[in-house]
Amino acid sequence: MKILKILPLILLTLACAPGAKDGGQVDGVFPYTISQKALPNGLNVVTVPYESPGIASFYIIVRAGSREEVEQGKTGFAHFFEHMMFRGTDKYPTETYNEVLKSIGAAANANTWLDRTVYHMTGNAEMLDKMFEMEADRFQNLNYSVHGFKTEAGAVKGEYTKNYASPMMQLNEKTVDVAFDNHTYKHTTMGFWDDVVDMPNQYEYSLLFFDRFYRPEYSTILVVGDVTPDLVNNLAEKYFGNWERGSYVPDIPLEPEQTETRFAHIQNANFPPYISLNYKSPAFDPDSKESASLSVISQILFSQKSDLYKKLVIEERKCRYLGGGAMFTRDPYLFSIRSSLHKPEDLQTVKDEIEKSIQDLIDNGIDPKVLSDTKSHVKYDFATGLDSSSSIAEVLSYSIWATGDPEAFGKFFNLIETITVEDLQATAKKYFIPEHLTISTISPEEEGGVL
Amino acid sequence: MRILKIAFTISLSVLFLTQTKAGELIELKKSTSNKVVIKYMFNVGSMMDPEGKEGLSMLTASFISDGGSAQYTKSEIDDLLYPMAASYYASTDKEVTVFTFEVHRDFIDSFYDIAKGLLYTPAFDENDFNRIKSNQQNYVDQIIKASSDEEYSKMALEDLLFRGTSYQHMIMGTSSGVAAITLEDAKEFYEKYFTKDNLLIGIAGNYSGDFKNKLMEDMAQLPSLQVSLPDAPVVNMPDGLQIEIIEKENALGSAIYAGYPLDLTRADDDFAALMVANSWLGEHRKSYGQLYEKIRRTRSMNYGDYTYIEWYENGGRFQLPLAHVPRHSNYFSLWIRPVQIEIQLKSQYEELGSIEVGHAPFALRLAIREIDMLAKNGISKEDFELTKQFLRSYIKLFVQTTEKELGFLMDSHFYGRTNYISELDDLLAKLTVEDVNTVAKKYFQVENMFVCIVTDDSETAALSENLLNNKPSPMSYSNLVREGLSEDILNEDEEVSKYKLNVKSVDIIYSQDTFK
Repeated sequence: MKILKILPLILLTLACAPGAKDGGQVDGVFPYTISQKALPNGLNVVTVPYESPGIASFYIIVRAGSREEVEQGKTGFAHFFEHMMFRGTDKYPTETYNEVLKSIGAAANANTWLDRTVYHMTGNAEMLDKMFEMEADRFQNLNYSVHGFKTEAGAVKGEYTKNYASPMMQLNEKTVDVAFDNHTYKHTTMGFWDDVVDMPNQYEYSLLFFDRFYRPEYSTILVVGDVTPDLVNNLAEKYFGNWERGSYVPDIPLEPEQTETRFAHIQNANFPPYISLNYKSPAFDPDSKESASLSVISQILFSQKSDLYKKLVIEERKCRYLGGGAMFTRDPYLFSIRSSLHKPEDLQTVKDEIEKSIQDLIDNGIDPKVLSDTKSHVKYDFATGLDSSSSIAEVLSYSIWATGDPEAFGKFFNLIETITVEDLQATAKKYFIPEHLTISTISPEEEGGVL
Repeated sequence: MRILKIAFTISLSVLFLTQTKAGELIELKKSTSNKVVIKYMFNVGSMMDPEGKEGLSMLTASFISDGGSAQYTKSEIDDLLYPMAASYYASTDKEVTVFTFEVHRDFIDSFYDIAKGLLYTPAFDENDFNRIKSNQQNYVDQIIKASSDEEYSKMALEDLLFRGTSYQHMIMGTSSGVAAITLEDAKEFYEKYFTKDNLLIGIAGNYSGDFKNKLMEDMAQLPSLQVSLPDAPVVNMPDGLQIEIIEKENALGSAIYAGYPLDLTRADDDFAALMVANSWLGEHRKSYGQLYEKIRRTRSMNYGDYTYIEWYENGGRFQLPLAHVPRHSNYFSLWIRPVQIEIQLKSQYEELGSIEVGHAPFALRLAIREIDMLAKNGISKEDFELTKQFLRSYIKLFVQTTEKELGFLMDSHFYGRTNYISELDDLLAKLTVEDVNTVAKKYFQVENMFVCIVTDDSETAALSENLLNNKPSPMSYSNLVREGLSEDILNEDEEVSKYKLNVKSVDIIYSQDTFK
């Protein structure tokens, strides 16, 4: 049950679906038909029939992640709770649940991120009824013991322990802690170590967490593959129709405006020097030209095709890697430009070059051909990427957790097609400002030393 | 028993194997697909790296896929391919190197003209060489030791298990090996091994007959193989448990990998039976393996515990196996994800103030004892039926995409099979519990094994002493967990803590001395 590292590009690529040129597929922005049905209790049911004989991907997206961890000392709880969802019910104690899951022959797992928790299984479409029954049971009747709760906390600690080996993980933890003051994005989905260690003592809180968030109004069921909407809707009604709606609405703290550049640093002489420039970016909005422009900017300025990449990675060889983009989040988060370097003494130069490249876009715009090539790139990247029920389910689940609507990326696609050079300039000017920047570094030195 | 009715994806497709003068072609035509996938699988891998140039095959493959061609520089190629969103990459393993090209069918002709230049007329530009070599050097020197202790321990196990053979070094090479590689070496290596008769081509998706013919004609421009290919090494079983502890600073836990040579591959029909036993014991990233159940779920010791009967690429990242890691020299392995070390346990729980060592010895004993019991007792008829049912459905998920389906077909060819996944399904269908238990008894054992543990420098001495002297290693639970444990579990803990390991040697290696 990993914590997913989302590539922002996936959203951009989804948004740029081609039309119906791919034999046998339907017209429209998204090449497959999306059927939606909202149950009276607020649960949305989404079905996408796809030619994958005998295979179905069954996803439940819960729009609660580490963003919803508003109480002090409870960081990492959404992720911990994801683990608890595998600790059984009266009808399906863990052993039985595992046996049935095994009989489905599925690739099944779950993962948690800032804005959501996703439970998924891809397996035998003929056993869809059983998948529904099992999932409906645990989503409504989860019943773990106090001992089971305390025991599972050790697995989360084990997950933190394995992740900690990476200096990148350590830096990410520090970066968000520095970049945010009040908002829950201040902590990673894994949570702070002290809170992770304290998890076994939070049994009562876990019951509250389940009661708050494992509710139909927070959830969407998504099924892609060898299925029909009628079948999926009937099963949803049969197994989830009586799921009671809740009433909890979290009060997510607002983040005050950042007023000066901030710094996060990890000293490590045994790892290549590294820098990331993290600018505060807007919440994802499929109707916003700013979101669309930031997606396009990430490609034009920081992809392998960019002038900056060619200069720093290929020609001057100051960097081993360069890339950048915005996370598509429900609340304002970070647009991060990341680079791994050869020498620590180049950290300042690389930072300056990144800023210069942004300023050049603001001052001089870009060649319109580069913009049209970028639109083509994302369109075809998408077209060739959706070639299994699970890959389609992955992109649709992103649309669902980011916006609540599986069709939202379609709108976003149309918007990207309309983006002009002037849009890119205006967005860059608004968001890439030093007052909203957090500079994160890894180097052998005690201080980052980048201004 | 219920027979699952999942149709093979191959039913949508047409599969051909074409014999040509120069080599062979595997075709997987899919008339509804919007793309074309082309794969070139060369019988060349890190096993062919010359002594003192470890990492050469990987570097040569990267040089081709991440460099330019006679016609275009690397940056020009990036520009040309950008609007197509075409992707191409190389993967190198011990015995094969595969170049994969994927593109939307709208661009197949213009893409192919660029792609073939990379393969047939690589630029061998010095700047590209230095850039690619530097990154590979950095991986060997720093990244592998400072990113994931689990991946580190896995590579360290191969270094130990295959010591003194052509399989010993990482695909990425060694520090001194990569440093010694010159541009001329890469060029010569390319000319020597990237030949038309050392090649299997695969093509999948929606392409024309003319395009296929062009592909085959172009292949003929490669030279012929002038050298004989080496055999994969035959590795002897170790004498007892030979343990290496790799000591590093600031590790938060102990990461464990163990294994021993296995004289069995996908080419053997018995592989299916062993797969059932292994799946029951420790299916990759599944919550219903025996080891996961006992170490993670019951005792809360780590994030997961699994076993393998063939190489599994990047198990920390991938939930389903990748293609293109076929090998003739095989081994069984045990992956115990990082467990807590002594200083961490002491700092978290007052009641553990007097412990002498972290959880590694207990976890290792428990896992080995489970393997032992499987070899001796086999699995029950019920577990057999359920595991078989699981696998017959699960293996079809390995080939969900066109690219993966083609990849597994090409790997099948390596093992002398036509379609590994469908043949495996047939073999699984015929199995009995007796077959599985006979094979488990034959191939699972615990007397002789290599073990690698990457851990914190504070843990090394106590861990080494515990293992070398076979000292009991009682499980050290926090009170929070201990108070809810059943008598059965505590009794089993007692057994595990005293379980004798056939330890013959324990060596401590400093992290800076690995992969030199």
